[in-house]
Amino acid sequence: MKRFLLALGAMLILTGGAGEVPTSPSGSANAVNPYEGDADAIESGAALFRRVSCHGCHSGNARGGTGPDLTDDVWMRQPSDEMIFNVIKFGRRGTMMSPFKDDLDDDQIWHLVSYIRELGRLRKAEGD
Amino acid sequence: MHVRKQTSTGISRLIAVLCACLMGAGAAQAQVRHTPVTDAMLLNAQKESNNWLMAGRDYSGTRFSPLKQINTGNVKKLVPVWSFSFGVLDAQNTTPLVVDGVMYVTSSHGRIFAVDARNGSMLWQYHHPLPEEVGKFMCCDVGNRGAAVYKDKVFYATPDSHVIALDRATGKVVWDVTIADWTKAYTMTVAPLIVKGKVVVGMSGAEYPTRLWIEALDTETGKQAWRTYTIPGPGEFGHDTWGNTDPDAWKFGGGSAWITGSYDAELDTLYWSVGNPNPDWDGTNRKGDNLYTNSTLALNPDTGKIKFHYQYTPWDVWDYDGNNETILADIDGKKVWLHGDRNGYLYKIDRTNGNFIWGKEISKVNWSTGFTPEGRPIVNPEKVTNYDRKVTNVCPASEGGKWWNPMSYHPQLQMVFVPSREICVDLLAGPSEREEGKYNLGIAEAEWHKGHGQFVAFDAKSGEKKWTVTAPSPFTSGVLTTAGGLAFAGTPEGEFMAFDARGGKTLWSYQTGSGIVGSPIAFSVDGKQYIAVPSGWGGWTGWATWGGKGGAPHLKDNRKGGYLTVFALTD
Repeated sequence: MKRFLLALGAMLILTGGAGEVPTSPSGSANAVNPYEGDADAIESGAALFRRVSCHGCHSGNARGGTGPDLTDDVWMRQPSDEMIFNVIKFGRRGTMMSPFKDDLDDDQIWHLVSYIRELGRLRKAEGD
Repeated sequence: MHVRKQTSTGISRLIAVLCACLMGAGAAQAQVRHTPVTDAMLLNAQKESNNWLMAGRDYSGTRFSPLKQINTGNVKKLVPVWSFSFGVLDAQNTTPLVVDGVMYVTSSHGRIFAVDARNGSMLWQYHHPLPEEVGKFMCCDVGNRGAAVYKDKVFYATPDSHVIALDRATGKVVWDVTIADWTKAYTMTVAPLIVKGKVVVGMSGAEYPTRLWIEALDTETGKQAWRTYTIPGPGEFGHDTWGNTDPDAWKFGGGSAWITGSYDAELDTLYWSVGNPNPDWDGTNRKGDNLYTNSTLALNPDTGKIKFHYQYTPWDVWDYDGNNETILADIDGKKVWLHGDRNGYLYKIDRTNGNFIWGKEISKVNWSTGFTPEGRPIVNPEKVTNYDRKVTNVCPASEGGKWWNPMSYHPQLQMVFVPSREICVDLLAGPSEREEGKYNLGIAEAEWHKGHGQFVAFDAKSGEKKWTVTAPSPFTSGVLTTAGGLAFAGTPEGEFMAFDARGGKTLWSYQTGSGIVGSPIAFSVDGKQYIAVPSGWGGWTGWATWGGKGGAPHLKDNRKGGYLTVFALTD
């Protein structure tokens, strides 16, 4: 019985306890942004950034408000694209960061990742 | 729901022995009482020197403690005696309460705790299960500003708009009612106020298209007693102040009420302030005074009916969000309220009729050039933005002046102590995109200028500034004053400081470990005085580092936290 409960507990931890699997969006170990550097995706991401109110917490240019600055090198210990994707999709439990899986499909989330990355690149280029 | 009771419940209502704390050699058994909180106790809260019975300490909202064991002569001997972790990060906006040695303290993310106020031992905790997505519908963090106590219950509001009554002895839920739809950004952070057997609360959500309200519930059952919308409906006085270009402007005009009100029993009047209109900065389609936004309402506590009001910022296009507290004071034989506003002015208003007495600058003010004799601000047209007009160096920025963190009134000195800042902003309004549950700010560009913090003491009789202490960052805590001649305040860096209330000299300081955005209190147990302060940086901090610049850019990556530190004198 104890072993069964332990196994059940492990399963719940792995699945987040709610049937969701907050790991790779593609099921692979390291998902790659299919829209990396794509100008149309960046433009779409910019529009989505306002439409779903990312700007309300992270500011209009993603340099931080209630939420953290998304354009510098220290944010979340230099996350991979996949980590950013998962945080947008599934949120960060116990923080202000809500899941956006009901507002955005996977393509739209990748567009947002592209936009955030572009802002980071622009900031570096400015030497800011 | 998630109650973890760590000790046994008592057999009588008056006394329950809940924990025996062994403190090494000579340890004594600690007894915890759950004294019923009566109407008489609340009405005389100012005289309850041991206790802190409501967010503002008393119905006047003074945040003044008559305790003086800790005073200007010995405050340098103040040391931490216990601390308590909330187990969560983000904005710790709370004011703890203390009733006869038991502390009730809320935290971010919907938690409340009962703690032995002598040593920090937890008696029980309750974690309201929050929907994962609620943060998406809150502009300024998943915070909470405190609880209320009455008889055998403790009450608090949650981000997803529940009002909950818990048994003070056990932490078990007595009732739990939902008063609004959080998925449309109707949320709650307010510390409730108990008035005449009702628990009064107010809504958050004016950064979204909402129509908000103040509401009273029966303390025994949670049943609604009255609800007063802060924006008048058709046929009501003030309904015609929302312009004629958008027939629905009033339906989505915001008007939050998340700062606890005050109550004058003699006048039987409840005073409750109302915040900004929505959209915050875009006034294009709400031309008019936008009643009752940025006003204090005088209400009948039995019915919620509005008796009169005073409006601080008509047609707000600066997001001056005037829902700050009103402190009731009797000065020179006159019954007044004192109100420090984000629009930069400190006000003295006749609380028998809402008439303006004076308004004095807390910080630099240039959106207004003064007041008409009736007390209406004279707007400087050079500082009014629209879609085609960026205005620069608007002072103060949206956070003040005085931000939401409550000030304190010292009745013996007749002085008021205001946590403040000197920060200005450039603004360009932008078209609004109204959609329920989505931000609707009406701003295209905002750039906060680098500024500094200040802690300002005023003579409440004349409005004259008595002293000002400046600091690199704004003072972001609430203020506590005491009969020991002290004024306590805290900073985003986590410094908790004691000042000589008369002269402003810094007498003591302690680094709490995280930014202070909650409010300190004083209480006494077994003849020993304590000072408590919550710390945990969070909330709307865009003013500090917006766009990588901001009013206090050194606060970027400021440390989060979530704890309470309690101090006493060394023996």
